[in-house]
Amino acid sequence: MGEFIKVEIDFSKCTDVSNVGKWIQVCPVNIFSVENNQPVVVEENEDECTLCMLCIEAFPLGAIRIHKLYGNRKTNR
Amino acid sequence: MRLLECEAKEILNKYQIVTPSGSAVASVGKLDVKPPLILKAQVPIGGRGKSGGILEASTNKEAKIKIEQLLSTWVRGYKSHKILMEEKLDIDREFFMAITYDTVAKAPLAIFSGEGGVDIEALAEREPEKVNRELFSLRSRLPEYRAREIISETGLSGRLLLGLGNILSRLANIFADYDATLAEINPLALTRDGQLVALDCHLEIDDDALFRHQELAKLAETENRFQSERSMTEFERKAAEIDQLDHRGVAGRVIEFDGSMGLIIGGGGASLTAFDAVQSHGGKPANYCEIGGNPSVLKVKELTRLLLSKPNVQKIAVIMNVVSNTRVDLVARGIVKGILEAGKNPAKTVAAFRVPGAWEEEGFQILSKYGVEFLDRTVSIDDAARIAVEKANTLS
Repeated sequence: MGEFIKVEIDFSKCTDVSNVGKWIQVCPVNIFSVENNQPVVVEENEDECTLCMLCIEAFPLGAIRIHKLYGNRKTNR
Repeated sequence: MRLLECEAKEILNKYQIVTPSGSAVASVGKLDVKPPLILKAQVPIGGRGKSGGILEASTNKEAKIKIEQLLSTWVRGYKSHKILMEEKLDIDREFFMAITYDTVAKAPLAIFSGEGGVDIEALAEREPEKVNRELFSLRSRLPEYRAREIISETGLSGRLLLGLGNILSRLANIFADYDATLAEINPLALTRDGQLVALDCHLEIDDDALFRHQELAKLAETENRFQSERSMTEFERKAAEIDQLDHRGVAGRVIEFDGSMGLIIGGGGASLTAFDAVQSHGGKPANYCEIGGNPSVLKVKELTRLLLSKPNVQKIAVIMNVVSNTRVDLVARGIVKGILEAGKNPAKTVAAFRVPGAWEEEGFQILSKYGVEFLDRTVSIDDAARIAVEKANTLS
């Protein structure tokens, strides 16, 4: 987990993983990778999150939650 | 990375731009160019002529003496390990041409003047009509017809125009192919026998693009290209490695000093202002540095850790001007994380954090969580430096 940002994936929303490559490639700071055909969070990159929210747009609705650990505020749509 | 003249001329030759015949020598041996000769110290800095770095020799014997002299002479802070020995040409006229970036227009810019061998900026200020500039697109490059249009604006025509247009177009190709930030031929000579010859060339390659030019990257690592009066310290070398961790922004251009206050400062002139302000308020900087261009959290973190790794550095001051192209929150994350990883308390380690600008509200929230005061844009750089020095004297 990052010091400032925590990114969570709700795997129950990621049912059709045929597009997993497209989901993860939107992140400009490589927070996601793929393991066993499932998206995973690269924890060492979490603090690089620019809060651009591109992942929230790209992943299935509700699959990504981004927590700012310095304000206890969740950022999702 | 600034290429030496002899290295740049090799590239010109690859693109069929003629240079004086000659060779670069590292010692006085057999001379394979007939006198009279021009002998040029190969150092990565301009103004060699005025500093004794360019000499003439009319005989082989004189050339050998002068080559030895140049190899043992410091030229503007550098000692040459190679001397470029070239035939002396009979020159009729000189021109200036360069390709660089116009950072305001965000496009490459071709510059041409019918007067060469001059300080082009001084000429442009004194007689602007003698210098023609034209933006072009990297995608369509600079075709010869466009290059000729630029040159013809200065009143040149005929065969000379064709020849110059050809060279300017090729220079633009070099600029694009080598990811240069500056490709300049000054002077480009017209010899009495009607040949156009590049007498000197300044080629500056974007450091962040060196990975695409492995042959130049290897050259940059070669230790015997030239000798600098001041060599990089181990601390500065580590900082440079941090800057190379990724392509994002700058965080690692560091010059080491023997003071006790670590400085993470940025904004071009603002970093110099901040450095001077810290000194004028009685602070003793442990380093000068530049950050900017939105560096990654990782780079700022590693730089912070590096500064705090110096045994005498207990406090750091983070001072920038009002930033629009660097995110305050990302800088704050890097600083705090670096301090935490160094096993220190951010509230006691940061003597001042004055980085107003983009995402400052987020930056403020981050710093608040760790008890670090955020100095906003109502606090000047000078006041931030004063606060940093005062806190460094009181924080324990």
